[in-house]
Amino acid sequence: MNLLEVNDIASGYEGVQILWGVNLRLEKGKLTTLVGSNGVGKTTLLSTVMGLLRPWQGKVTFEGKDVTGLPAHGRAKAGMVLVPEGRQLFTEMTVLENLEMGAFSGRARASFNRNLDMVFELFPRLQERAKQKAGTLSGGEQQMVAVARGLMAEPEVLMLDELSLGLSPLLALTLFESLTQLKKTGLTMLLVEQNVSMALAVSDYAYVLAEGRVHLEGEARALMKNDEVRRTYLGI
Amino acid sequence: MPLNRKNKLLDLAAAKRRGPETRDWQVTQILPSIIDGLLIGFVYGVAAMGLTLIWGVMRVINLGHGATMALGMFCTYFLFSDLAVNPYLGILAVVVLSLLFGFIIYGVALQRVIQAGYLSTLLATFAVNMIIIGVGTALFTTSPRNIDFSAGSITLGPVILQGTRLLAALAAVVITGALYLFLYCTRPGKAIRAVSNNRAAAELMGIPSSYVLALAFGLGTMLAAVAGGLTSTFFPFTILSGATYQLKSFVICVLGGLGNPLGALLGGLFLGGLEGVIPTFMPVSWVPVVEFVLFVLVLVVKPTGLLGAK
Repeated sequence: MNLLEVNDIASGYEGVQILWGVNLRLEKGKLTTLVGSNGVGKTTLLSTVMGLLRPWQGKVTFEGKDVTGLPAHGRAKAGMVLVPEGRQLFTEMTVLENLEMGAFSGRARASFNRNLDMVFELFPRLQERAKQKAGTLSGGEQQMVAVARGLMAEPEVLMLDELSLGLSPLLALTLFESLTQLKKTGLTMLLVEQNVSMALAVSDYAYVLAEGRVHLEGEARALMKNDEVRRTYLGI
Repeated sequence: MPLNRKNKLLDLAAAKRRGPETRDWQVTQILPSIIDGLLIGFVYGVAAMGLTLIWGVMRVINLGHGATMALGMFCTYFLFSDLAVNPYLGILAVVVLSLLFGFIIYGVALQRVIQAGYLSTLLATFAVNMIIIGVGTALFTTSPRNIDFSAGSITLGPVILQGTRLLAALAAVVITGALYLFLYCTRPGKAIRAVSNNRAAAELMGIPSSYVLALAFGLGTMLAAVAGGLTSTFFPFTILSGATYQLKSFVICVLGGLGNPLGALLGGLFLGGLEGVIPTFMPVSWVPVVEFVLFVLVLVVKPTGLLGAK
């Protein structure tokens, strides 16, 4: 069953078209990856899916309902949660307050305590830093807050934009490991990554975006063996 | 009044001639003025908090700030003179009415231009200012009004504290405390801070940011109107009086750092204290000159405000 469907989306900024009819399907409980080099429209696609950008054409369907006209906060309430590129924390607020804001919507508030225990178990470091201003944390810790804040929203689908950007390989690996843990809980995820080999290694299904269109798609394992993918993205 | 000041100045000149042994006497002259100024400064601080809250959360410079203060003054005045409502109870009514007024102004004038940049929001709030002043002038004329209300006074040695100013300062402290509790301990308050910090991220977390902006504008409007109401208990006013206070609020916001409510309160105290002290040294008409020289100096030396971020 498809939890999230993106149909024929065209979008862009101020007259510059970036996406030219993108189709994407996220299967429930699966980890899907969207890869592609810089500037092909990955972040634009996520912004459009979340409703931060209005699509020029096409529609977004979530749990069988058309959500194309819904504002971003309405989609978040419905269970679509994006951990945005560059973390975008509430830097002037404490770690705990960031997590509280993650659980802003009614359905997330009901299970606040359970989710808080869950993210503290996933990222023990955040419990130590709970009273600290988020802006004073290191890059890796901030990324943990960003993921934790997304999880506090009790997502049906969690979208992660450039999780590993600016992190040391070791930290990136830790975060990817937490993703595989989350996958075991049955969470549907969409991962957008430049670190293609790492992303494909943990994913079930993958899309390759090029020049604003889906260029290739398939099982992650199959794509890893694809000659073109290996040459272009894995440098082998 | 001018005669009084002239006497004061003559006394000061005399004190200077008499030398250091009479310095104590000089202090007793300045002390009441400083305390008086500080008490008024609390109210300036509340007004400036309104301006700074709206800027901090919405990045809107509210040019209707002064006119809103004047509305607060008139609201308190009419409740007192026509319905014989105690001014401090009247201010409670001002709280509710101005909050609603802020929501309406946001919905009608600001919501549609908030994404369009500083110039558009500046013009929108300026239009609100002109409408309030235009309608107010037509309805109330510009002859000065005065709330004839005394809350007694307290004498502490050489210092006579007027009840209305003490109560106003007390109200200002309570309001500041309440604002802080609201912003730091309640869900809507935290949502205001989140939207102020990062609006797009707040949307992504399910926070309906345009409601939050309406709430922030309502609160800012309320603070301005309440400060106006408190001011009206000790100064005469017209519908045009807001302009002076609006300028003071700008100076205070720059002193305290734009977007910092506590800085606004401290800036208000500083400006109030200054206004208390200056007239003992020079004619009262020099007060705005000193204030705005200070304003320019702060902008040149530390543009983020004395208490602002680096």
